[in-house]
Amino acid sequence: MKASLRPRLGAFGSFGGRFAPELLTPALEELETARREIVPTPAFRDELDREARAWVGRPTPLTRAPRFSDRAGLETVFKREDLLHGGAHKANNVLGQALLARHMGKTRLIAETGAGQHGTATAMIAARFGMQAVIYMGEKDMERQAPNVKRMELCGAEVIPVTAGARTLKDAINEALRDWTASLSTTHYLLGTAAGPHPFPRLVRDFQAVIGREAKRQWRREFGGLPDVVVACVGGGSNAIGIFHAFVPDKSVRLVGVEPGGAGLDSGRHGATLVRGTPGLLHGARTMILQDDEGQILEPHSISAGLDYPGVGPEHAHLQETGRARYVAATDEEALAAFEVLSATEGIVPAFEPSHALAFVLRARESGELAAGARVLLNLCGRGDKDLETYFALGRSS
Amino acid sequence: MSLAALRTSMEQGPAVSPFLMLGDPTPDLSVELARTAVAAGAGMLEIGLPYSDPAADGPAIQAATGRALAAGTSTRRGFRLLARIAEACPGIPLNLLVYGNLVHRIGYERFTDTVSQAGASTLLVPDIPLEEALPLRRACRGAGLGHVELAGPLTPAPRLARLAQGSAFLYLAGFQGVTGVRHGGFAAVLGRVTEVAESVDVPVCLGFGISSRDQIVRAFGAGARIAVVGSHLARVVGTLYGAPADAERLVAGYRSAVLALASNG
Repeated sequence: MKASLRPRLGAFGSFGGRFAPELLTPALEELETARREIVPTPAFRDELDREARAWVGRPTPLTRAPRFSDRAGLETVFKREDLLHGGAHKANNVLGQALLARHMGKTRLIAETGAGQHGTATAMIAARFGMQAVIYMGEKDMERQAPNVKRMELCGAEVIPVTAGARTLKDAINEALRDWTASLSTTHYLLGTAAGPHPFPRLVRDFQAVIGREAKRQWRREFGGLPDVVVACVGGGSNAIGIFHAFVPDKSVRLVGVEPGGAGLDSGRHGATLVRGTPGLLHGARTMILQDDEGQILEPHSISAGLDYPGVGPEHAHLQETGRARYVAATDEEALAAFEVLSATEGIVPAFEPSHALAFVLRARESGELAAGARVLLNLCGRGDKDLETYFALGRSS
Repeated sequence: MSLAALRTSMEQGPAVSPFLMLGDPTPDLSVELARTAVAAGAGMLEIGLPYSDPAADGPAIQAATGRALAAGTSTRRGFRLLARIAEACPGIPLNLLVYGNLVHRIGYERFTDTVSQAGASTLLVPDIPLEEALPLRRACRGAGLGHVELAGPLTPAPRLARLAQGSAFLYLAGFQGVTGVRHGGFAAVLGRVTEVAESVDVPVCLGFGISSRDQIVRAFGAGARIAVVGSHLARVVGTLYGAPADAERLVAGYRSAVLALASNG
């Protein structure tokens, strides 16, 4: 990596930047100005906190998991983002961005969605704020996640099927970027993860960082000190950066991100961009991506639609490069087993996404990835209702 | 085709520049279409290298990309096609349009050297904007390749000046949006062309949404030196070609379409 290739805007080491067409520059500059000038004001913070309590359901509790911990052989505590409004951490980000968009005078929100969680969260906030919402969703994902499509429509959003490319999440992002290029005067692009061109990775991180701030405070109060390890699943990486951010300066705390290993890392059918990807430019940032040797983007594979993304937030690429965080993968099979274990041991049905993080904890002591006695904080970033249909269709007997 | 030839071409008068995607609808036919376009009056060619995620392009160019990739147009093969086009179209400046990741993957210097040797005169990378363009500009200079910047309807004057500085020409998108055929609102586009042409000292190229001779004549009248027609011609290819048996019909139809754009009367 030559120093000259370091991005000029919003860099995280050699990653990040603003690799977006010139026609988006006015929108990205307007957003960056708003991020700097509006977000830090007391009025904005107050409004955000009030809505976060009253509508999103913050703060979320920390939950000890004694029976799960016995199975893992590691003391494990969950940050319960699955209890948020909408059933996932996505609400933190949509609330912040929609509030900012309203301050910027935008009346229309557009968003991409894969599994439908971010689309649903966007549709909910648009309804609450009386804004128009248009959700881009790959045609293939619309078939796979039909109930979420209905839920978005129920909240008044228009769901537009994306028929380009592979008809999945990455194509939905391309389509949202195309819409935004033409509609930027009235429209805010409410990007769902900590990826994309500057300033999105910072904007989304800052709205999700409440997870780690809260958890750190709660841990100190309830258990004393700090956890030894913080674990989260990584697709685009917003829940992971949200819980990591407050712990980055605490060098004693190990940060572990768990990517979707799909059918196995050597099968070629996975979404492990940090573990197996290479640096490239995708959706506005220099980051780790899944690509062939000429730079064509490859389709990822995962049982979890929310982790099914060929890129990752650039800050994670940086945390990996500097060694501050470590990234591993868990396969579909491991995630499904962990989904069953948590349901049966703690009465919590997790989403498939955090099931990857749970799978890592379940195997980590035996595999030597974590030492005995380590105290683990895990971001349980979503609940599993949305995945039940898929799960039952697999016909597994737990 | 050297950068100096671009200047020579610009001195000869304004140029109609069809856009064509390497490998669309097949590798051989894309070379044939380039030759056909020049014979029908194109003074310049804009040439795309197919990429899986063309986020700045509308449906017509996306479809062209899909056809080219389906026909097996890898980047390596694209380089060979570019060289064949340069050989088939002597004296015609070739502006290569390519998304950043294809350049980044190969490396800025190796990429610019390779396409310069293959015969490109200039390079436009739509998703590497001004702030991130320094290493790319440096590589272009080293390779004797012109670098082209993109500007839009909302680009403020001071930024236009910075974009134009060191740019072989300034590519002005007439409409705020992705590439594609549009109807109406062209008077505002012409006003913008004049405003930009008067404020920068490099040639202005107008693109996005141009589909008729009338628009081209008016764009030249307003001060544009190059007019790019992309989506309109990509649609012609998509409409006329479905199978190898359509090759002759495609070339004939493409010739008429370019003739209609490039000739008076």
